[in-house]
Amino acid sequence: MKNKTENASFGLKVYLFRKKWKNVLQSVFLFCIIAGLCFTILYPIVQLVPTIFSNIEDLGNPNVIWLPLEFSITSFRAAIRFCMPEGIMTMIKSILYAGLIMSIQVFFSAMAGYSLARVKFLGHRVVFFLVILVFLVPRQSLLLAQYIYYSHFNAFGLLKLFTAAGEINLINKPITLIMLAVLGFGVQQSLFIFIFSQFFKNIPNELEEAALIDGCGFHKTYFKIMVPNAVPAISTVAVLSFVWNYGDTYLTSYFNKDGPYLSSTLARVFSTANKDFVLNAIKVWFNVPLATDFAFDAVKQAAVLIFLIPLLLVYFGAQKWLVENLENSGLVG
Amino acid sequence: MRNIFPLKYKTKRKLNGFLYVLPFIVGFFLCFAIPLFNTVMYSFNKVSVNDTGGMKFDYIGFQNYIDLFQSEVTTGAQPMARLFADQNLSILTNVPLIVIFSLFMALLANLKFKGRGIVRVIFFLPIIFGLDIVINMLAITTGGEWVKESSGLFSQSYISVLLMRYMDIPMSILQPVISYVDKIFDVLSQSGVQTLIYLAGLQSISPSLYEVAKIEGATAYETFWKVTIPTIMHITLFVTIYTVVDMFLKSPISEEAYSFAFEQSKIGTGSALSVVYIFNVLLVLGVVLLVLRKVVKKYEK
Repeated sequence: MKNKTENASFGLKVYLFRKKWKNVLQSVFLFCIIAGLCFTILYPIVQLVPTIFSNIEDLGNPNVIWLPLEFSITSFRAAIRFCMPEGIMTMIKSILYAGLIMSIQVFFSAMAGYSLARVKFLGHRVVFFLVILVFLVPRQSLLLAQYIYYSHFNAFGLLKLFTAAGEINLINKPITLIMLAVLGFGVQQSLFIFIFSQFFKNIPNELEEAALIDGCGFHKTYFKIMVPNAVPAISTVAVLSFVWNYGDTYLTSYFNKDGPYLSSTLARVFSTANKDFVLNAIKVWFNVPLATDFAFDAVKQAAVLIFLIPLLLVYFGAQKWLVENLENSGLVG
Repeated sequence: MRNIFPLKYKTKRKLNGFLYVLPFIVGFFLCFAIPLFNTVMYSFNKVSVNDTGGMKFDYIGFQNYIDLFQSEVTTGAQPMARLFADQNLSILTNVPLIVIFSLFMALLANLKFKGRGIVRVIFFLPIIFGLDIVINMLAITTGGEWVKESSGLFSQSYISVLLMRYMDIPMSILQPVISYVDKIFDVLSQSGVQTLIYLAGLQSISPSLYEVAKIEGATAYETFWKVTIPTIMHITLFVTIYTVVDMFLKSPISEEAYSFAFEQSKIGTGSALSVVYIFNVLLVLGVVLLVLRKVVKKYEK
């Protein structure tokens, strides 16, 4: 009798022991995978450290792997001088621009999404199909025709009523980008309309009916009932829209080239064709006659780190909010 | 004053709804339909500048398309057909990779462990690091030795040397695998939004489904294939379409169109390229949709 219980407790011990080790092994394995993935994501940034923090004359030294020989922030100073001619104001303007376009995009996409999801007006299916079509056709394929059309913009001939020439040139004016965002053709805006329409589809009908009985009109229902309920979708779209607008080089560089946008300035200053100019400027400004091609890369990468700071701040501020709100954001619907 | 136009509630609602999408409809014509129509029109014409300053069109039929594939070359001196073939091939191989990989990342981010918050923050960083401008600026464009070193970290590592020398794996299998592992950062940098969408999908699966599976005695493996995969199948459809569109957005074909139009002033040929490009995108998406619909239906039964 005694023997039997001993056996049983031994068996239990073996079982528990195995289970424990299985768990430990599993978590070690998982830890390795997750750590590896995180490392892979962060690697390109970490790898920059020896380049951007070392003295410009030390660049290209094959003995330097991770830590710079001589710590220096010259690259950052050069980058700031190149892409922020107005100092911090350039960045602030760029952020304000992205914020403005973001709020316009959210406002108009939400309205369109709401209407497409909940109002059965004549042809609402057709319009929904058009939203998807716009999303599917790559925007670059229409660039040329858009460019020519906007440089002689006549708005269906309506402008004849207001201007003598009957057309205006919309190229290189900030208003063009705002117009695009209002009309639903900003950066990835058809995707945003789609997200909003998916979200509003899932809101129960009773909410609207109750609002109607309480005497709300169409607009009041939308702004007082629907918008406050749509916070998950709004926050998701807002974060994505801000990031994509701040990093956009496509619309900004074609339709408002001289605007104060950090992204298109960076793309322009650090294009490969501009390399000699950048190198010469570094040599003169910081009195380093030995600046090599490596210096160009170092300054370029310092510039992109400066560019990333506001994005990372927004992202770290919003990420918890983003992930937790996501399940209700309509992306899943 | 209010009852000059006595409208029914429903009519009023429809009118207001139409008002809300009106900006998009106007925009559709101004920013999409007219440029699309013009692109098609330019592609059938020889476009040149008139003496008076306007544009001059000479109808030449399909000549632009014939030129495009017979005499024109890309900026990298390759035939155009080659560019399209490469593009489609890279999309067909990369899309499954990105989709499966982002699902994997989302599954990892959905696990419960200490420090999950930080891991999630890092996993979504590709949304920011994947921006075109950031990728372009981070690339080391000068200093040849460094470029060699940073591309192909895995193929030069001890593990891959070990695999190649001492394991009897045929090279024809090993080579593509190693090159995929080398590309892992490319895949990672393009899977930010997809991971986000998948994670949202995973979080919306009701926990009771997993409870039932547990009570019925299903293993983790069975639960994954019988509960997780079927419930997120329709998200896979969306993720795949998003990935295909996103990859076409970043395709080098657009640079060629830009070069035709603004650098070589061949507006007609550039437009023909755009038209072929649009057809290409819609064709690929159509095929992907057809295949995926069948798979999704099978799983949802």
